Amino acid sequence: MGSWLKMIKELTIRPKGDKQIRKSPSYSFDEELNKPLSGQTIKEILSKSSDVVFREFFLQGKERIPCILAAVDGLVDKNLLDQFILKPLMVDLAGHPELAQVTLLNVVDKTLQSLLPGLEIKKISKMGDAIDAILSGDSVIFFGNLTEAIVIGARGWESRGVAEPITESIVKGPREGFSETLRTNTSLLRRKIKHPSLRIISLKLGEMTNTDLVVTYIEKIASPDIVSEVLRRLSSIKMDGMLGNGYIEEMIEDNPYSPFPQISFTERPDVLAGKLLEGKVGIICDGTPIVLVVPAVLTQFLNVNEDYYQRAMVAILSRFVRYVGAFVAIVAPSVYIAVTTFHQEIIPTDLLMSISAGREGVPFPALLEALTMTITLEILQEAGLRLPKPIGQTIGIVGALIIGEAAVTAGLVSPLMVIIIGLTAVSSYAIPTFDLSLAVRLMRFPLMILAGILGFFGVAVGLYAILIHLLSLRSFGVPYLSPIAPLRIRALLQDTFVRAPWWALKRRPQLMDVEEPRPNGKG
Amino acid sequence: MERISPHQFMTLGAAVLLGTTFLPVASIVTGVGGRDGWMSVLPGFAVGIPYGLMVFSLLEQYPQKNLLTISETLLGKWIGKIIGTIFILITGYLGGLLLGQVGDIYQVSTMPVTPLGVFYLGGLLLVFYLVNSGIEVLGFSEVVFPLIVIALLLNIGLSIPRIEQGELLPILSEGFKPIFIGAFKVTPFVMTYMLFLAGIIAFLPTGKQELRQLKTGVWRTVFLVGILDTLVVLIQMLVFGPAETIRVVYGLLVLGKMVEVSRTVAGVESIFLGVWFGAAVLKISSLFFAAIWGLETVFGLKGLKWNLAMGVAFLGIAFRFIRGPSLIMEIGLVDEYLIVPFISLWVPILWGVSLWKKGASVRRMRPQSGGQG
Repeated sequence: MGSWLKMIKELTIRPKGDKQIRKSPSYSFDEELNKPLSGQTIKEILSKSSDVVFREFFLQGKERIPCILAAVDGLVDKNLLDQFILKPLMVDLAGHPELAQVTLLNVVDKTLQSLLPGLEIKKISKMGDAIDAILSGDSVIFFGNLTEAIVIGARGWESRGVAEPITESIVKGPREGFSETLRTNTSLLRRKIKHPSLRIISLKLGEMTNTDLVVTYIEKIASPDIVSEVLRRLSSIKMDGMLGNGYIEEMIEDNPYSPFPQISFTERPDVLAGKLLEGKVGIICDGTPIVLVVPAVLTQFLNVNEDYYQRAMVAILSRFVRYVGAFVAIVAPSVYIAVTTFHQEIIPTDLLMSISAGREGVPFPALLEALTMTITLEILQEAGLRLPKPIGQTIGIVGALIIGEAAVTAGLVSPLMVIIIGLTAVSSYAIPTFDLSLAVRLMRFPLMILAGILGFFGVAVGLYAILIHLLSLRSFGVPYLSPIAPLRIRALLQDTFVRAPWWALKRRPQLMDVEEPRPNGKG
Repeated sequence: MERISPHQFMTLGAAVLLGTTFLPVASIVTGVGGRDGWMSVLPGFAVGIPYGLMVFSLLEQYPQKNLLTISETLLGKWIGKIIGTIFILITGYLGGLLLGQVGDIYQVSTMPVTPLGVFYLGGLLLVFYLVNSGIEVLGFSEVVFPLIVIALLLNIGLSIPRIEQGELLPILSEGFKPIFIGAFKVTPFVMTYMLFLAGIIAFLPTGKQELRQLKTGVWRTVFLVGILDTLVVLIQMLVFGPAETIRVVYGLLVLGKMVEVSRTVAGVESIFLGVWFGAAVLKISSLFFAAIWGLETVFGLKGLKWNLAMGVAFLGIAFRFIRGPSLIMEIGLVDEYLIVPFISLWVPILWGVSLWKKGASVRRMRPQSGGQG
């Protein structure tokens, strides 16, 4: 019994403080990492992996120095290593007066100062640093039995180029999106914000994966409290594998039991730049094109980047449609169930007759009818996602049409119910953020059940419970419903329900502590 | 410690004050004031202003303390504890009765066959969730207040075609006396708000500017709610006439039932009830908060289990009074014979004693400073 309770507790309660998840076992070479640096030891540790290559050669200086160059095949630019590292050291510099002065004692400094060109070259003296560098794609040269080595940044691997993001396509605006390579992503961001106050702080997460990630923000705009909180939460994560942003998101969000997303994400450098200029903090993780942005508030999940490239009036209309869509997506089936089951008095007689005629012969109560149709819709959506794109779309459309039509013809559901469920599905597509759309889909089911049992009273209880939940949520200390509650009228009229024209956006959004005027609009 | 801003205090206060008042107010004031009853609403609410100012004057002297703690400081430990116990009993009892009213109104108006317990449980679950989320979240409920106002104004606006102007005339045919009596009947509403104010002041900011904003907030709250309730009484008077307004206890719901918009939507009573339910949850939560603050201050009892115990007490009280007339009568008795005398005496006495003690300490200081000078 005790072990069951312990297991349930482990699975349901997120530990406070250090979040040690699947911590790696200690390996035989763990203690070796603190020993003095040695090429031979490194070779012993890494030579069991066939992708790690060791090139042994001699440097002919004042004395003959044995050297080992270690790198991971596939992660280094071989051409760069051959042309600018090995060739100069072994061939080009032979007989060079500088090389003639090299001994084992000064080889590291001489190599750094005058033998090797290149920007990313540095000296290291720890075993752990050497292993990290090799496995991250750098090359390391060891000299004899010296306890110092040289790391050469010669990374080069196959990667996807900068392409248009799939999840955030827009009509007017830049087409470039983030890729899986961290440095490419930071360079894309740097190209947008060419200001010295843009901060990029590097971290490593995952004891086995050693995943690189950066925390980026703009000093003086981002709240220092939020930045330090982000760094604190990230550094408290202890897990062996960090394979994507989804891992980080669950580990650092404020309320892990909420269905609502508390951290936003983007694939677009222009969106990230815009958010940083609003005072938010970005987390870019190597190996994924998705960048996390904190803090997040509910309304921003209903706004899209296109709003800032369209004229203000068009953007306002689009936002209005999205907000209405989100509301319809949540309440449409439950209101229909409540009205047809409990509150027929709300419908004028003519309309009521029409609805009754449609429902004539349907053997199920409205709740069961709606639940069946909604679950069918969810199955179709899920099936469409997993199939190849052209087939997926076909499944979605054909499935909905054929099953809906067949169900109505067979008298299993009423035509109005098909319309309601169709409207709900279309409305949920108006929600631009996938995470929020999922939350809305999830909320729909309890609301339908409450409506089926308790009518509008149930719907009211459900909606107020959701409202209280949203009011109690925080994202890195910022209230989730800000700027609606706590009310900030300027932010509300500036860039929430409406998007004021650029010339009117004189101040940054008041979601956080930063309220300084912005010189030239949003940026 | 959690804090709520002056603006949140104002909207939350308005929601609490408006809360469950806009449904029975027309029947109550018309019952004693006749066709001039609508004029008594605003003066009745205005009685709350001096009380609010007295409370803030005490807050200025005793920052971050609620009136129960201040009572113990000013009147002594045991008198303070007796006052605290009365406070807990009143807030707990009224909260339970209002929870009972939620079930009663729903069952009477829209869902006659659903068991009462379901409504009580639904309401109490929301109250409990809100209370456990903390005072800051209750403060954020400012988002609900505009919904209540919009629903009220829509209900009033959509009833305008049914108005019969003659129902209002003659004005002041029986002099000012009915207005005074009507105002006295409205006073309990504002006194209930004072119960909440007595506890929430510990969470309010005490800076000079903020105190000014809070005092202005009381004025605004009282006038805003007073005007809204006046409109509610007026529209019922104009549509139903005095006799029917007195007879129909929840007249606004009947008005909602009569609404029809272009043969598309009719009888919006159930939708209106949904909004009223939100206001009721806020009001019951405020009383729940007040009761648990009382428990904490007087007996040092706090935590989830005491909140649960208070929830059970609320449920028990709600179940005790089953149906409409006896429930309404009980609420009226609590309002008139418990809350009004209690607040009318407690707040001015505290304020007076604090002033007297302040004066005494100033007198003690004078000779000393004179001697030094």
